[in-house]
Amino acid sequence: MSNLTITGSQSTPAISGDWEAGVLTMAGDSYPENSFDLFNQVIDWVERFLAETRRPLSLELHLLYLNTSSVRAIMDVFDLLEDAHGRGHPVAVNWHYDRRNERVAELAEEFKEDCSFPFAILAHD
Amino acid sequence: MKRDIEDLGRRIEQLLAQPEYQDHPLRVALDELWRAFLDQTTRLERVTHISDGYQTLAKERENDLDERFQKQLRKLEKLARISDHYQRMMQDLNVALSDASNRDVLTGLANRRHLMQRLKEESERASRSGQPYTIAMLDIDHFKRINDTLGHAAGDRALIEVGRILQSSLREYDLCGRWGGEEFMMIMPGTTLVSAQTLAQRVCKRIREHAGAPDVGQSISASVGISAYRHGEHYSDTVERADAALLEAKRRGRDCIVLSEV
Repeated sequence: MSNLTITGSQSTPAISGDWEAGVLTMAGDSYPENSFDLFNQVIDWVERFLAETRRPLSLELHLLYLNTSSVRAIMDVFDLLEDAHGRGHPVAVNWHYDRRNERVAELAEEFKEDCSFPFAILAHD
Repeated sequence: MKRDIEDLGRRIEQLLAQPEYQDHPLRVALDELWRAFLDQTTRLERVTHISDGYQTLAKERENDLDERFQKQLRKLEKLARISDHYQRMMQDLNVALSDASNRDVLTGLANRRHLMQRLKEESERASRSGQPYTIAMLDIDHFKRINDTLGHAAGDRALIEVGRILQSSLREYDLCGRWGGEEFMMIMPGTTLVSAQTLAQRVCKRIREHAGAPDVGQSISASVGISAYRHGEHYSDTVERADAALLEAKRRGRDCIVLSEV
């Protein structure tokens, strides 16, 4: 049981995983030089949480631009959630977007396709 | 087939059981042959059963592989679709950004950066084709007074109005923009000083008639300096001559047009 903290930069999102609360937050743009390194930590953390606890996990996403490898990593994380959901582990995604940037909502919609766990796309001002 | 064999089996069993054939020389051979046949049949059934088992296993594996392949394919398609969408978003943002960096926020006209880019292009074109272009520098007269007496909002409205008049007076391939403050520039490719002057006269007339400050019925006017690009020079020289001509127009009492001598 440990928290995950990755400081954000211009090209990488700020990531924080709160083990106790069961909340993983990612915010910002993502076009890292090595997305494998970055997202492996996230995938490991999610896998560990889903394996070691029975507590609900929710993802709070405030993501803007994602390059292809980041899109892939996020899809991999959603696959983990889908499997967990299939096993009866409570999981949820809340994708937050700025009301003025409707296209982020469109993209979140595309991610949401084929996800059967609770997936909300939430506008804010 | 199976029934035939069962019938045959029954007949053979009966024959073997009959006491009168007990010592018949063929009885032992038939008995052995029949046992060997039964043994072979059992063996064949087992082989078939095992073989079927392998086939089922292979089929299941194939199905599983196919399912996994289809799943990966769907995932890849989704990845490509989302990634393309992000790229389109980036491109649109780039266009918006480029537009914003070339546009004057207040008037919506080209800004100084855009004008300079166009001057550079027109100078290159003029050097290649030998066809010159002219530029007109237009300055709103006593603009400071409008700002000071009527407020900055009125000044802004005057700038917007003058911009609108300029924009609607130009041909498609001309460009006008805000050079800075209350100074505007018009770039007119393939135009002589004389026809540029005619155009400037029309613009100044419309400014006098339409760009007044309606709040107090005060009309506004503009001074203009015009110069033509000289083959081989840097465009900043052309701009400098238009500026000098504009200064001369101001000296002559404003509300007039001065051509930079050829």
